[in-house]
Amino acid sequence: MESFLALMDGFATAITPINLMWSLIGVTLGTLIGILPGIGPALTIALLLPVTRNLDPTGAFIMFAGLYYGAMYGSSTTSILLNTPGESGSIMTAVEGNLMARQGRGAAALSTAAIGSFVAGTLGTLALTFLAPVFVKLALLFGPAEYFALMVLAFTTVSALLGASISRGVASLLLGLAFGLVGTDILTGQPRLVFGYPSLLRGIDIVVVAVGLFAVGEALFMASQTHLRTAEILLIKGSLFMTREEWRRSWKPWLRGTALGFPFGALPAGGTEIPTFLSYFLEKKLTKHPEEFGRGAIEGVAGPEAANNAAVAGVLVPLLALGLPTSATAAILLAAFEQYNLQPGPLLFSGSSTLVWGLIASLYIGNVMLLVLNLPLVGLWVRLLSIPQPLLYGGILIFSTLGVYSLNNSIFDLVLLFIVGIIGFLMRRHEFPVAPCIIGLILGPLAEAQFRRALSISQGDPSVFVTHPLSAVLLALAAAVIVVPIILRRAKYV
Amino acid sequence: MNTKQTISGAGLAIGLGLIAIASVIGFETMQMQVPPSYARVGPQIFPYIIAIGMAITGAHIAWKSYRGEDEVAEIEDTGPTDWKAVAIIMAGLIAHMNLLKPLGFVPAGLILFWSVAFAFGSRRYGRDVIVGLLLVLFAYVGFTYGLGLQLPQGLLKGLL
Repeated sequence: MESFLALMDGFATAITPINLMWSLIGVTLGTLIGILPGIGPALTIALLLPVTRNLDPTGAFIMFAGLYYGAMYGSSTTSILLNTPGESGSIMTAVEGNLMARQGRGAAALSTAAIGSFVAGTLGTLALTFLAPVFVKLALLFGPAEYFALMVLAFTTVSALLGASISRGVASLLLGLAFGLVGTDILTGQPRLVFGYPSLLRGIDIVVVAVGLFAVGEALFMASQTHLRTAEILLIKGSLFMTREEWRRSWKPWLRGTALGFPFGALPAGGTEIPTFLSYFLEKKLTKHPEEFGRGAIEGVAGPEAANNAAVAGVLVPLLALGLPTSATAAILLAAFEQYNLQPGPLLFSGSSTLVWGLIASLYIGNVMLLVLNLPLVGLWVRLLSIPQPLLYGGILIFSTLGVYSLNNSIFDLVLLFIVGIIGFLMRRHEFPVAPCIIGLILGPLAEAQFRRALSISQGDPSVFVTHPLSAVLLALAAAVIVVPIILRRAKYV
Repeated sequence: MNTKQTISGAGLAIGLGLIAIASVIGFETMQMQVPPSYARVGPQIFPYIIAIGMAITGAHIAWKSYRGEDEVAEIEDTGPTDWKAVAIIMAGLIAHMNLLKPLGFVPAGLILFWSVAFAFGSRRYGRDVIVGLLLVLFAYVGFTYGLGLQLPQGLLKGLL
C-alpha cells in the first residue's frame, strides 16, 4: 500500500509535460540505438553523461531508463530482419526470429517480440515497484562489511558467468579495478598510479573506459573482421496482427520469460544475456512444436524477448535499492547517480523520493510509448538498417571522440580513449567479456571505501568480514561462484 | 571445448602482458610514501590485492595457452583479420587528436570520419565526405549552440 501511494505520487511527477518529453526522447533514442548494431545503451548513456551534467536529475534518469528499455525493444527488430543482434540481450531472438522472417513470417515475429516486451516490461516494472522498497529495508541491515561482501559477490558472479572462461572474466574485472585505482586516493589524498601525469590525478573517467571498450574497440574489431561486414536485410512480410494461433503460442513464453528475466536481472549476473539463453532453451524443451525449432518457432522469439525486458526491470532493483550495478549499463547509471551527487540506497528513497518514484512511474508510461513506437511504426525504423556500415561506424567514432573530449576539454582524454580502445579491441578479439571491467571500474573504489571503513571501525581487525553473519554468507557465496565450476570441471575430466 | 595441442601465442602474450601490468601496479604502490597513521588500513592494500590477483590470472592464462589447453577457440578460426583496416582507424584517431586543436573540430572530425569509412571498405569518397561534413557540422552546431560546449574552432574561427 505504501508503494502504491508512492507510485501515485510518482505518476504525478512523470506525467508533467517536461518529464513526458524526457521519457519520449529516452524511448525513441533507445529504440534507435537498439536497432543500430554497434551502439548499445551503455555506450549511449556514457556519451550522454557529459552533456546532461546540468540537467534536472529526475528528467535525466527518466530519459536514461527509457533508453535502456527502448534498446531492448529496438534490438529485436535488428535480430529478426538482419540476423545480427542489435544488443547482446537479443542474441537468441536472432536464431528463430530471423528464420521466421526468411519464411515470410517476419511481421509475426516482430509483433510477438514487441508485445512480449511490453508484457514483460510492464510486469517487471510492477515487480520493481513492490520489491524495491523491500530491498531498501534489507539495505538498512547492511554495514560497511556487508556492503563490501555484497560487492565482492557481484565481482565474482559477473566474472564467472560472463565470457568464455572464468580466468578471462577475472582478468577483465581486475583490469577494471586497476583503472579504478588510478587517481587521488579519497581517504588520504595520495596520488596512486598516476605515473607523474597531473591529468591522471582526477582518475580515469568511466566515460572514457566505456566509450573506449564499447565504441573504439568494437569499431576496430568490426573493421578487422571482413566477413562480418555484409548482412542481408529481410523485408517485413506478413501481417503485424498476430493470428489466434500465434497469440495462443506466445502468451505462455511471455510469462515464463518474464519469470526468468526479472530475477536474473536482479542478481549480479550481468543483466540480460543469461536469462534470454535460459528462456530459449526452456521454450525449446516445453514446446508442442519441437519440429519448428531451428526453422522459425514463435516461442523462441516470444520467450527471450520477454526475458530481456523483464531483466532490465530486475537490474533496476539492486541498482536503486543497494547501489549495486549488475550489468554494464547499470554501472554507467551508477556513474550518473555519482555525477549528480546522489547515493542510491535507502537515502535515495527517503531523500529523493520524487526522483525514484517518478522514474519508476515513467517506466509504465515508457512501455506504452515503446509499444506504439515499435509496432505500428516499425516500418519507419527498419529504414535505419539500410545505413551503410562505413557511415555508421564513422558516425559512432565522431560522437565518441566528441563525448570524451567534452568531459574535460582535454586531448589527454582522447589519448586515454585510444589506449583503452586498443585494449577493447584485444579483449573483443580474444573473447574477454567487457562488462566485468566496467563494473570493476565503477564499483572498485566503492568497495575499497567500504573495506577500509569496515576495517577502521574494527580497528584493523580483518575478522569483521567473517564474524558478521550476513557478510560471511555473502563472501562464502562469492567464493563458491568461482570455486564450484572449477571443481565440477575437474571432476568431469577425472 | 576446443583443446588444440598447439601453443597459443596470443594467449601467452596476453597472460604475460597481465603479469607485466601487475608488476607495474605492485612496483608503483611500493614507491608510495604512506604516513604511518594510515599504514594499517591504508591506500596500498587494494593495489596489492589487485596486483597479486592479476599476476595469478595472467600466469594461469599464459600457462594454459603454453600448454595448448586454452578453453577458447582462436579467433583465426572464424575468418581472416584485416590488419590494414585496424591500422587505418588507428591512424585516423591519432590524426584526430593531433589536429583537433590546430585545425578545429570540423576538419579533424571529417578526417576521422573519412578514415573510418575507408577502413570499413567504402570507396564512395564523394558520398563519404558529404555525409561526414554534414554530420560533423550538425554535431558542432548542436553541441556549441544547443548545449553550450566549447569545441575547438580552428580554421573555422569566425565563420560559424
